[in-house]
Amino acid sequence: MSEKNDVSSLPTEALPPCTAACPAHTDVRGYVNAIARGDLEEAYQLAREANPLPYICGKVCAHACETECRRGDIDEPVAICALKRFATEQHDLRKGHAPGLSVAEPKEDKVAIVGAGPGGLTVAHDLARMGYKVTVFDANPKPGGTMQVGIPLYRLPRDTVELEVAPLRELGIEFVTNTRVSDVDALLADGYKAVFLAIGSHAGRKLRLANADLPDVWLNMEFLRRVALGEKVDLSGRHVLVLGGGNVAIDVARTAVRLGAAEVSMTCLESCTMMPAHAWEIEEALDEGVQMFHDRTFKEIVAENGKVKGVRCVKVDFRGFLPTGGIDMDEFPETEHVLPADLVIFAIGQGPDLSFLPQDGSIAQTRRRTIQVDPLTLATTKPGVFAGGDAITGVGFIIDAVGAGHRAARSIDAYLRGIDPATVQPPEPEKLGELQKKTVSHVRPLKRDEMPKLDADLRKTSFEEVYLGYTETQAIRAAHRCLTCGAGAQVDTDKCIGCLTCVRVCPYEVVALVRGTANVPIDQCQACGICASECPAKAITMKLYSDDDLLKEIKSAVRKAKRAVSVGTGNGKPIIIGFACRYCAYAGEDPSVVKARLPSNVKTIEVLCSGKVDSLYLLKAFEFGADGVFVAGCLEGDCHNEKGSVHAGQRVAYVKGLLDQIGLGSGRLEMFNMSPAQGADMTEAVATLTASIKELGPSPVRRR
Amino acid sequence: MIKAEQKPIAEIMEMIAPYKKILILGCGTCVTVCFAGGEKEVGLLASSLRIASAATGQGKTFAEATVQRQCEWEFIDAVADQIKRVDAVLSLGCGIGVQALAERYPDEVILPGVNTTFLGMAVQPGVFEERCVACGDCILGQTAGICPIARCAKNLLNGPCGGSQNGKCEINPDLDCAWQLIYDRLARLGQLDRLATIMPPKDWSKDRDGGPRKIVREDLRL
Repeated sequence: MSEKNDVSSLPTEALPPCTAACPAHTDVRGYVNAIARGDLEEAYQLAREANPLPYICGKVCAHACETECRRGDIDEPVAICALKRFATEQHDLRKGHAPGLSVAEPKEDKVAIVGAGPGGLTVAHDLARMGYKVTVFDANPKPGGTMQVGIPLYRLPRDTVELEVAPLRELGIEFVTNTRVSDVDALLADGYKAVFLAIGSHAGRKLRLANADLPDVWLNMEFLRRVALGEKVDLSGRHVLVLGGGNVAIDVARTAVRLGAAEVSMTCLESCTMMPAHAWEIEEALDEGVQMFHDRTFKEIVAENGKVKGVRCVKVDFRGFLPTGGIDMDEFPETEHVLPADLVIFAIGQGPDLSFLPQDGSIAQTRRRTIQVDPLTLATTKPGVFAGGDAITGVGFIIDAVGAGHRAARSIDAYLRGIDPATVQPPEPEKLGELQKKTVSHVRPLKRDEMPKLDADLRKTSFEEVYLGYTETQAIRAAHRCLTCGAGAQVDTDKCIGCLTCVRVCPYEVVALVRGTANVPIDQCQACGICASECPAKAITMKLYSDDDLLKEIKSAVRKAKRAVSVGTGNGKPIIIGFACRYCAYAGEDPSVVKARLPSNVKTIEVLCSGKVDSLYLLKAFEFGADGVFVAGCLEGDCHNEKGSVHAGQRVAYVKGLLDQIGLGSGRLEMFNMSPAQGADMTEAVATLTASIKELGPSPVRRR
Repeated sequence: MIKAEQKPIAEIMEMIAPYKKILILGCGTCVTVCFAGGEKEVGLLASSLRIASAATGQGKTFAEATVQRQCEWEFIDAVADQIKRVDAVLSLGCGIGVQALAERYPDEVILPGVNTTFLGMAVQPGVFEERCVACGDCILGQTAGICPIARCAKNLLNGPCGGSQNGKCEINPDLDCAWQLIYDRLARLGQLDRLATIMPPKDWSKDRDGGPRKIVREDLRL
């Protein structure tokens, strides 16, 4: 595994929007495509490379990558989060959590990390890999921070958290739990050369309303923490009203449902469409019977004899929060009413508990009651002390903290080596531009599968995980929806002679001549590879599936098949090399499974489209010693890239002519046109071809 | 541009039969555009010939290279070392390229891998048509921009002939009658009266009939 987060190896070119949007810049395209190829181990490694918490993020990541996914301009975003989950579920843990992870020589310097949440764990991971001695302090009984004491179990089973923490222990990181750090200076005095403050935001807030201090008026974080740590909280028969409309409010409401509450409602300032909670979480809460009362502000907790009776509300027209922190809304006093409840839980936001910071103000705070840092280096106002995650942002997502963790680790390493941390941070990557309407009009829509989940009735009575994960077939199908943004054609303008072939063959109409040479806008190219295969000057190469890579793969496939036909059951069988369009040749199955079903004398090579199969590849397969070659592409009209399979068919016919001319015979080369809808993979066609090649006998190239 | 097409592989194999080490040399201009001799075709031909050689145990080796234009001394000088290392060069350039190589490398065997066919254009992808015969005395100004020398089978200056049937040429029903095209276009331009003027016999001495031609521009000479 390479050290992807080293500045030197960070990409400088425009990134696919998914990767650019990910705070850890995970190679999303890489792992999604590895899944499409059936290379699940590589998929896992790519997902793990930029993020030490892939299992957790596969389940609960807020996935900004999907929001930015350009497939969303066509139909719906690629189910990236679900695919990450699939990759982690398929990973064989016997190979280790991070196979091949490099670890530098041990260093003397000790670093203290305060808080074992996602930010703290990431810094610990990165610094431990760099060789530092890392100690992580946490106030809770187990590491994980919000992932341990905040996120409900039905979203994140705790064995998943354990699974991520275990390899960090193996890296030599020391965890000191049940220990709330109250003196940062004492840590520095104790020999820690740097400190990272990743305390999260675990302090809930109440509004100063009448009766808000009654025993049956609770706080979001405290409630979730009690439940997460296993306390038996019995809400049977209770009528719970959650104040707030964010993701944590939803967590609180759904947790209350599972604890047996008779009724659970939520009320918030925002309208249905303005609620800050994720749309899918709102929908799931509604499915579980949570009632929602929008457009309300709260006036008092109504109580009788010390017992909560409800919340007095007034309807509002809420337009948002002002930059000053005030609320932009109109109240409608005549709408005053009481929402009944006997237990009220505030979930109107939370923030970091900064009471532990030095009294002398040496670690400055912002007006928003967060720790003040240099946004580039995450350095606080105290030398050697850095901070990240919710402690500086207020409330963020796990992956935001992971991103901050990588940044802080780079800074801390620089600081300890006497280098200015500002000089080691990579520039923000550029991202690919938007798809043009014309490009969108040419892309084939593909339906996104919903991830299977537990039935809402079953969910209401248990903390069993709601999401069940994609099946293999669903995952492959989901991976095929990736547009492989930015992996397309690259033109060598020194070789291009402006012959216009690429302009004419591009099914997406994205290629144009600029100052006499071809220009393929990388943000519009759909990576079908047709232009590269047709270019007479060999001036176009593909970033993914380059000619060099494919020629190497052909050579290696022939070598493997040669070995297979010299022994055992393969003995005497013809060597057959196939070029398989990933969309149709495997009938939607995992390529590795279909390949395993093929006899050992047949080796297939994946291409993004049969239109990428260059005539030269076909000849090269024969030159390297194949007895037979086939191309499996889509039926005409079914091709993912409009006419890719037509181009492939024409090339096959052309090369057949050449084979006749050189005496090898055209019968050794075939084109299969398959339909993924037929549900049949290429196995049968391959068997027929094998029989006819067997009759022709071994290629004279191999006989020699 | 110059259009060419690759020779049948059997003919090429016969030509290269006496030689062991062969350089297949492409040309990056006209023959690339017409898919006869660019880098891609060099690769395809080299692979085909390697297969044929391996299949028959001839043990030939094929090197590949492509220069920007074989009809320029500087470009072909750049591959001098590669040429010196082989027994023969199979040029996929047009006849000009082959001759330039032969002239520059008098001691080396230079063989043509393509048939230089005509001056023309791709009227659609994969379809190339002749448009000019380089007669040296252009009359397109009188014939509505359509050349009767290149496109009429009889090179008629005052056509059409009696073989023009429904706009097609009698020698090939797929071939448009050039004089029908000229008539139609003159009609469009409102210049049909041009047809009343009889064109005098053409000065064919400016064509190949006057022997190999030469242009000298004194102002450009070094």
